[in-house]
Amino acid sequence: MSVIYTLIPGMTFMGLIFFVIMIWAVKQGQYEDMEGNANRILQDEDEDMMP
Amino acid sequence: MNAPSTLSTYNCFHCGLPAGTGSTYKKQLGGAVRDFCCLGCQSVCTAIFEAGLHSYYQRTPEGTLLAPPPTPPQDIDSYDLDEVQQEFITRSGELRDIHLLVEGIHCPACIWLIERMLQREPGVQSANVNLAAKRIHLRWNNNLNKLSNLIRALARIGYSAVPYDQENAEGAIKKSNRSMLFRLFFAGFAMMNVLWISIALYSGADKGEFRDFFHWMGFVLATPTLLYAGYPFYRGAIGGLRIGRLTMDLPIAIGLSVTYAYSTYTTVTASKIGEVYFDTVTDLIFVILIGRYLEGMFRQQALSANKRLLELQPRVATVIRDGVEQITATRAVKPGDHVLIKPGHKVPVDGIVLEGHSAVDESMLSGESAPVCKSAGAKVTSGTVNTSGALLVEVSSTLQNTTLAKIIRLVEDAQASKAPIQRLADTIVPWFVLVTLVCATLTFIIWYHNSFETALMAATAVLIITCPCALGLATPMSVAVASGLGARHGILIRNGLVLETLSRVTHFVFDKTGTLTEGKMSVAVVHVAPGKDVQEILRCAAAVERYSEHGAARAIITEAEARQLNFSGIVVKEFNATAGLGVRAEVNEKSVLLGSLEWLTRNEIKPDSELQAQALELEAQAMSCVHCALGGVHVAVFAMADRLRGDALQLVNELRAAGIGMTLLSGDRKVVAEAIARQLGGMEVLAEVLPQDKDQAIQRLQQRGEVAAMVGDGVNDAPALIRADVGIALGSGTDVSVESADIVLMHNELDKVRLATLLSRRTLLTIKQNIGLSFLYNVIMVPLAMMAKVDPLVAAITMPISSLVVIGNAARIRNLFNKVKP
Repeated sequence: MSVIYTLIPGMTFMGLIFFVIMIWAVKQGQYEDMEGNANRILQDEDEDMMP
Repeated sequence: MNAPSTLSTYNCFHCGLPAGTGSTYKKQLGGAVRDFCCLGCQSVCTAIFEAGLHSYYQRTPEGTLLAPPPTPPQDIDSYDLDEVQQEFITRSGELRDIHLLVEGIHCPACIWLIERMLQREPGVQSANVNLAAKRIHLRWNNNLNKLSNLIRALARIGYSAVPYDQENAEGAIKKSNRSMLFRLFFAGFAMMNVLWISIALYSGADKGEFRDFFHWMGFVLATPTLLYAGYPFYRGAIGGLRIGRLTMDLPIAIGLSVTYAYSTYTTVTASKIGEVYFDTVTDLIFVILIGRYLEGMFRQQALSANKRLLELQPRVATVIRDGVEQITATRAVKPGDHVLIKPGHKVPVDGIVLEGHSAVDESMLSGESAPVCKSAGAKVTSGTVNTSGALLVEVSSTLQNTTLAKIIRLVEDAQASKAPIQRLADTIVPWFVLVTLVCATLTFIIWYHNSFETALMAATAVLIITCPCALGLATPMSVAVASGLGARHGILIRNGLVLETLSRVTHFVFDKTGTLTEGKMSVAVVHVAPGKDVQEILRCAAAVERYSEHGAARAIITEAEARQLNFSGIVVKEFNATAGLGVRAEVNEKSVLLGSLEWLTRNEIKPDSELQAQALELEAQAMSCVHCALGGVHVAVFAMADRLRGDALQLVNELRAAGIGMTLLSGDRKVVAEAIARQLGGMEVLAEVLPQDKDQAIQRLQQRGEVAAMVGDGVNDAPALIRADVGIALGSGTDVSVESADIVLMHNELDKVRLATLLSRRTLLTIKQNIGLSFLYNVIMVPLAMMAKVDPLVAAITMPISSLVVIGNAARIRNLFNKVKP
């Protein structure tokens, strides 16, 4: 059972990392436009598209 | 795509709306003839094809209907002035950054089109479209291209863009709410982890070898939570103490500190009998932060009202210097300058008309929707809209000295000097805190003779058990539920705290124009000369008035339509209007004159004495009369009045039955205001009041000890709306009055005032019940804790239950309107 001596702090540490990533993402403005980028990636650059 | 679908009708190639058979707008584009519904769509589509971006139409998702292009913004050139740009750009110099708010973005293909098009313009460094917020973040080189050119380029492909001041619009409140959200997230994260540890401890780990380890883990998680997420409570508690008030934050801060200190003591000394309560610390922070966050979202954005007011003043003015028109920033205009105001533009300054006739829409100031006629010598006020003709105005005051700016100052004064709303919970909290502290001290003293350890544990238990959680949630939860319910019934509650105040209101103050009345003229009485046909006269009058812009004209047309008269086929010739007097035209070879009595005499028509007497009588009742002459004979009088709103009488009667005092405030003439008051069964009337007088009228009521509610809609009501204990604005009112009010009635139904009062009573009742419930919980648990009988497990279970009961009770407000007819 001594494994929990590393598992619990490890879990907490990982949670903390996710929290920091989330704050970073919010501050980057990644949540400001939820639709735009999702669609932008689907727009290809062909001048004339197949109808 | 939007190709022609059926044989006989064509849909517009650009927007997909029906273009009608054999549409007038056709153009050879991309190898085929395309049909359009309007010139706007045609030119937008032409511009898109010319730019070689026509695959836009293939990119548009199937089934998306594009809208016809919005009208491009006015005064685009003014945005090139550095002084104007200063307010929007986030970096100056050659390279500039700006946010544009764009109308007309509807689908992902628009992103593609806008970004492609802008990147082809010279000088554009980057263009980024935010689809959700309908904004463009643009970076361009000011030496290579002008902002107005870029806005015009957007207008050509069907998007209307205006600069957008992000700082102003989003502001400090949003920022503080966001930092609150981060704290909430962190507390949530810590709480979830600490709870796992607690579960392990409760299920037996506190006896085994991991006891110390779990304690230390709890410590590691709770410490940053207390310092970071719990910081607002400490700041609030200390801030309150500094001004000598016991706030809600104080018991929370004390409870948190004691719980944390005790748990840390147990952890550090590795005591074998003590318990740790790190889970309590994090839970408490998390739950109370949720309440705070909800409250923060409802907080009145006091600043924004003033900003909206300032935005009513146009940024540029057309100044005439030595006979040359010059576009100048408003702040550079000086008193004595001559300013030209074109039709459709806003008046940028206060001034006196030198030349020209026009109808000016002053609805934002007075709530009166009928435009007011202005000719030489009349005063115009900045922020009002010039609707029909051009006016040359001599500037009397600008910016900070205008009537509008004075109202802004009144609004600011009212905001600064208004006493904060005393919440029910706020009045109880200091006593609650005091009693808690006394109980804890007593417990410690009583048990000290027994042993120090037991005394400390029991005293701490008292502090933890009297967890102010339920008390802290009592108000915000009830207000949140009530606000949601109100919104669904067209009652927008901007400041949730007034829900407590509204049920105590003893005096209602109503604005007249636009609030109790509809704010527009309608025909109240028609008198015709003996032997004449009413219908025939109305038909002719309505046919002629179609060409007039005057408020009375619309009233006559509405009246004719209401009587189901058909006047669309009547041919009107030689129409001409003289501002301030009336109109004349020819119908069926007969002259038709409509206007004042003076207008008739000027045109050498003898007034009919009987009609004249009737008109005088009507004018004594505060109606304005329009005289009509057909073929040179005075035949009719139309009496115009501002009609009462349908539900005004009902509301006033109900309030009177409830014993609530009422006052009618109006900037209008005394006769008119008194006529309205008479129709409503009589009430106190204050007529011919200026905005500052409205504010003072409320103040006088408050000094008499009345709790006053103000119902209004114009900018001139804004100071009074803020000053009043409860400000209620009509949704049709100006942005500023809406921003200044605590409650907004979305559908302009006065009857909703009654519903809002009901809602308020119910909310207050629920708040009282909730406070009662949390007291009941304390009355049971505190004595147990003082006797040192509280098992930590019991405490852990009962504490969340007390919060849940409060939340559940608040949720019951939702059933309120099920019984009442909405």
